Amino acid sequence: MGLSSSNSKWKTYRPVVVLSVLSMLVCGLAYPLLVTGISQAAFPYQANGSQAQLGGRSVGSYYIDNGFTLPIFFHARNETNPQTASASGVDPDILLADALSQVPRISNATGIPAASLDGLVMSHEQWTLFVTGDPYVNVLELNLALISAYPSVYSAYG
Amino acid sequence: MIDAIQAATVVAMLAAALASGSLLAPYVVRVLTGSPSRIDRFLDPVERRVYKLIGADPGLTMGWKQYFFAALMLNAAQMAIAFVILVGQGALPLNPQGFPGLNWDLALNTVVSFATNTNLQHYAGETALSYFSQMTAIQFLQFTSAATGICVMAAMVRGFRAGSTHMGNFYVDFVRVLTRLLIPLSLVAAVVLVALGVPQTVGGYVTVKTVEGASQTLLVGPVASLVSIMQIGTNGGGFFGANSAYPFQNPGPATDILQIYLMLLLPTTLVFAFGELVGKKREVLPILIASFGLFAIDLAIAFIPTLPAVGPGIETRFGGFFSTFWTVVTTAVTTGSVNASLSGINPLGILSAFMGMLIQATPGGEGIGVMYMMMYVVLTVFVVGLMTGRTPEYLGMKINARDIKLVMIAFLIHPVIVLVPTLAAYATRAVDAIPGFSSLPTSVGFTQVLYEFASSAANNGSDFFGAAANTPFFNLATAAVIFVGRFAPIAILLALSGSMVGRKRVGQESLRTDSFSFSFVLMGAIILLVVLAFLPFLLLGPLLAYFQGMVNFLG
Repeated sequence: MGLSSSNSKWKTYRPVVVLSVLSMLVCGLAYPLLVTGISQAAFPYQANGSQAQLGGRSVGSYYIDNGFTLPIFFHARNETNPQTASASGVDPDILLADALSQVPRISNATGIPAASLDGLVMSHEQWTLFVTGDPYVNVLELNLALISAYPSVYSAYG
Repeated sequence: MIDAIQAATVVAMLAAALASGSLLAPYVVRVLTGSPSRIDRFLDPVERRVYKLIGADPGLTMGWKQYFFAALMLNAAQMAIAFVILVGQGALPLNPQGFPGLNWDLALNTVVSFATNTNLQHYAGETALSYFSQMTAIQFLQFTSAATGICVMAAMVRGFRAGSTHMGNFYVDFVRVLTRLLIPLSLVAAVVLVALGVPQTVGGYVTVKTVEGASQTLLVGPVASLVSIMQIGTNGGGFFGANSAYPFQNPGPATDILQIYLMLLLPTTLVFAFGELVGKKREVLPILIASFGLFAIDLAIAFIPTLPAVGPGIETRFGGFFSTFWTVVTTAVTTGSVNASLSGINPLGILSAFMGMLIQATPGGEGIGVMYMMMYVVLTVFVVGLMTGRTPEYLGMKINARDIKLVMIAFLIHPVIVLVPTLAAYATRAVDAIPGFSSLPTSVGFTQVLYEFASSAANNGSDFFGAAANTPFFNLATAAVIFVGRFAPIAILLALSGSMVGRKRVGQESLRTDSFSFSFVLMGAIILLVVLAFLPFLLLGPLLAYFQGMVNFLG
């Protein structure tokens, strides 16, 4: 009697117990690990954080504020004005106008003509709607372009 | 106001969601009805094995009580597994950062939140959860909660179908929704997200020297696999505390648009699927018009103010427009992911977010949106019946007094579990435990507390507080609200549907519910009901904050 009642209880709860474990193994382990395997094989650069290279080593990710503070570089939002901090705190981009406003400082610090810096900024312009919307630039991308365009000025960073 | 290009973007996104929804709906119907499909060849043998392994008879049919308790018990068992993982993550594998286990109250809040498709987060994933927890607790529950929502919707609709004799089999629905819908869709979306720049690795955080030589840690992990199900499943809980404002979760405009699209995809699909599931295709009309009409009104309200290109709480790559658009979408489908800090959104955008969470059917969360819309239809039929002096009917069935009592209870649960805890948070001074709360303007602070509970009750999950609300009061209070807000309406609406099984149909309907006029009456009734219940509180919160902001701006 006792055996058959515990048997019928198990019969009722078995789907709940087994399916909860099975769904965890499939959705929580097999699925993310399969995505990881495919991604690491097909898109290793993106899958590992879209890291920027300089002088043969990784210097950070294009998607994460690189924390520039020296006057010879463009600065991200968190360094220029903490009052306008972004939601993530690591916003890698600044508005085009913000970048252009930093040109005189960089020109003073490096001796690079302002017009050349303006041109460099403009050539890295992106938009929030791909081809239209608010124009912005990626700070790390811009500074790496600066380093490669003026190797003598930035010889310490090549 | 938004410009013509922005307006065109919104219209194009909604059109894309509607087009994809109508195209995907027939497939989803086949998944839920068990009709033959080309992929049966591959999946039938797999599913048969699963049924055998779990010991469930796929031919067995369930009444509403059996169906509901199967869903509840399975969800409870899944919560238990995830709870053990979160509390014990310190001793579990794939924890390269060596995070300790969570406190029990935070772990409880988290599993209740994720198992109910809410995804309110009182922690920041990047500093609290191991990879193992992100996968086997968070991503796991994001799949199962979305699947559960679709299952209970399918069950409810079955009860309303003419000639119905049962509510279906929960285990069969659950397995098929996972194998045929959620897992394949999420897999494809995750790989696309990786291609567009979202990381996917289990190799641990990467420490680099920046260009200027400082040390920096890149918080990479299994992000893309989480983001895809979190949006597809209208879950919303992110890998990072900053959610889709964090660049690794949402690197640029392309991933932003894709994630908005993924949020809208299945809720829209399920609206279209409703007609075929209920056996009367034209009955989609009122639900479609009311849900997307209300959604359009919310968008219009949110786009009234001037939206900044960038500002505090706004990410540069999205700007004020995409941040506001996302905020309305994420509450309209009760996903709850964010791509900005809510404190950076204009109070009118927040008002729209409230409307999405208070109505819960614009078009609402996975499955649940359609269930709420059916509830509103029954309520509206009743109100119209009172006004015209006719017996209320829906789908040819007489709506009786017990039906109305059930839908009234289902409807009234929501204001009670939003407003009572909001007041309790003030009355018990629990709000004082939130860092920085006392320095907020009163209307802003009230908006944030009301939002916390509205988001919990609607199983949305977006919030102002985040990890700041990791206090015993808010952990336990929101967990209770989330639990009741999820399972009480589901139980009541399944009970309503259960009583429709086998109910006699009258040949001639006195009121046509598949007409445009009924659709607009339905929309008006929903606005009226929700406004009546919540207006004083919305006045004291976001509306007051909006007008105070205008005064500050002017003066």
